[in-house]
Amino acid sequence: MSEERTMELLIGPQHPSSGHMRLYAEVDGDIVVRLKPNIGYVHRTVEKLAETKKYIQIIPLVERPSLADAANHNLGYVLALEKLLGIEAPPRAQYLRTILAEMNRIHSHFYGLGIHGIMLGSSTIFMWGFADREIMIEMAQRLTGARLTYSYIIPGGVRRDLPQGFEEEMEKALRYIERRLKDYGKLFLRNPVTRARLEGVGVLRKEDAIKLGIVGPNLRASGVPYDVRKVQPYCAYPELEFDVAVREEGDSMARVLVRVEEIRQSMRIIRQALKQIPDGPILSENYLKMIPPKWKEFMETKGRVKFPAIMANLRPPKGEAISRVEAARGELVYYIISDGTTSPYRFRMVTPSFRNVVLFEHLIRECRVADIPAIYGSMDYFPPEADR
Amino acid sequence: MMNLMSLFRWILDLLFSPWLFVPLIFPGLVTVFLVILFIIWFERKLAAKVQLRYGPLYVLKQLGGAIQLVADLLRYLFAEPIIPAETDKLAFVLGPILLFGASCFPTVAIPVSSSFYAIRSDISLLVALGLLAFGPAITLIIGWASNNKFSLIGGLREGYITMAYEIPLFISALSMAALYGTMDLIEMVESQVGWKWGLLLNPLAAITFLILALMSTSRFPFEIVEAESEIVMGPFTEYSGILYGLTMGASYVKFYVLCLLFSIMFLGGWKPVPSFLSWDPIGPALVLLLKSLILMVLGVFMRAVYPRYRIDQALKIGWHMILPLSIGSVFLSLGLILLGVVP
Repeated sequence: MSEERTMELLIGPQHPSSGHMRLYAEVDGDIVVRLKPNIGYVHRTVEKLAETKKYIQIIPLVERPSLADAANHNLGYVLALEKLLGIEAPPRAQYLRTILAEMNRIHSHFYGLGIHGIMLGSSTIFMWGFADREIMIEMAQRLTGARLTYSYIIPGGVRRDLPQGFEEEMEKALRYIERRLKDYGKLFLRNPVTRARLEGVGVLRKEDAIKLGIVGPNLRASGVPYDVRKVQPYCAYPELEFDVAVREEGDSMARVLVRVEEIRQSMRIIRQALKQIPDGPILSENYLKMIPPKWKEFMETKGRVKFPAIMANLRPPKGEAISRVEAARGELVYYIISDGTTSPYRFRMVTPSFRNVVLFEHLIRECRVADIPAIYGSMDYFPPEADR
Repeated sequence: MMNLMSLFRWILDLLFSPWLFVPLIFPGLVTVFLVILFIIWFERKLAAKVQLRYGPLYVLKQLGGAIQLVADLLRYLFAEPIIPAETDKLAFVLGPILLFGASCFPTVAIPVSSSFYAIRSDISLLVALGLLAFGPAITLIIGWASNNKFSLIGGLREGYITMAYEIPLFISALSMAALYGTMDLIEMVESQVGWKWGLLLNPLAAITFLILALMSTSRFPFEIVEAESEIVMGPFTEYSGILYGLTMGASYVKFYVLCLLFSIMFLGGWKPVPSFLSWDPIGPALVLLLKSLILMVLGVFMRAVYPRYRIDQALKIGWHMILPLSIGSVFLSLGLILLGVVP
């Protein structure tokens, strides 16, 4: 015992920057020798709960693990379910899904940027990030009627059509965000202190990133141009033009810059989608014909979907389906096994944060105590999403 | 009636006698509290302006929440100061009190005007800086007494960073002493006639002194000792109630004292006194206070701009950048003397 050089530092779960988890850090002076994440503090048995719920009830359930990124989670689940049911959403609904997914990506990246700011000590970036995410929350509210958990995407379509004047409002919002991004660059991204804290810190090499199965912006910051939206396009992505943000450095700064670039790309996607969006129904023909004529009229005038009665007891045929989408934090996989009843036999969701949790042990090593929050923030790790 | 008048007169005389006025009113205790009240409110207001929000607002809404800190202080006073079982109780309780006291001490060495001072000493600059150097030692004790790993790390950070700023701080102050040929703060002000402010004569010393003042009082970007996202509150993690309030106030007091010293050394101290305010000591005191407050506002504004450095980066800045610069400022002073810019 007398030879012990290191001290065990327990960071969290009651710590200003630990999030809902605990980090076991073994420190030798100011150097972190080893760090182990202890996850599971916000495990909510989403997968097991899903087996007891009807298919339509799972939509609000899968949104909960990741509030900032609810639409992508919703979308991934519905895509898997649609595969099981053998239906497809009409083109207009596909575009609306894409728009909401990209709005959520912007929202989530601002959220991550704000959290990272306060971890580095910049309260301004924290406030800015959380204020500017509000723009996308507000726009989502106009589109879906809810601020955070929209439950907007349903099997065979979406629940609401574009509201009047949405395009102009969105253009205003996007122009505002563009202006704000310049401010972020001046105050945070090119700030000498930020650069000193992030450049060359927590470097993830390309080979390691691939070997560890890292996903999302963390992977792309290490020079791997892997994006599900390009690799296996879904919704309206094949018809839209956008670049995959890639950087070669692999350090914390690169991870932040990739996210900022993704915000720009998402804005590009939203602009294109709003311009190209085709006319037509927002619910699949299969379901549309089940709706009584009076309600159909209501749907067409109000632009809101009335659920056909069959949705309450969706019974997909026996089989299994897998879907993957590019959520804000990375590749999100849903796997459903159906035994022909109203609830899934087995439900599996693999969230991007869960796949990135391995980075804690890999990146936060041989660095300083002050680097723990710097690297943690750059990973944009979200404990509830990982714990599910 | 006459008796009452004479009693009033006597009290006024007592209050305005330098040995009571300086430690008690200006720059001492009363002003210290007013400055803390103002600067913390203004810091929050200023940061809020940058951060697209209101800041303190609801306590005295007419003045924009100006007395928010009075409300906070009352809350601190009535909150239970929890003393954890495993702490060194004596050191734990006395620590914040001594820390706050140690930050206030140096005000006695600071003159209010050429004819108004508590103590006149040839080395009043050294006395002020020397008294300021007590603080870090007490912070170290607090960090150890708290019996908390975060406190321990915070205390050690304070120890390391003290080494990095204290030496260059003394050197840049002494370079000004060399320039003016005195360590007496009054004579320093007297030497700055006309445009010849220390800031213009030796900007190198001024810049280093200001950066070191930020470093020594945990202002951003050197908010390393209390780095909240890393070590919770550093040495003060275990504190609550009024004891925590004292530890928080102490760094502001220290910054205030350093700004007073900066104003005296580099900004001409209490000069120029406007003619309508020539009543000694009120006029000079107000001028000196105003200069220091402007500096403090500049210092606390950094919070809205910078994240924090890592400890090793701050130490590198202290030893590799500021120390050579402060030594350079000594040579600059000597050069100015050789060139005959200063008598």
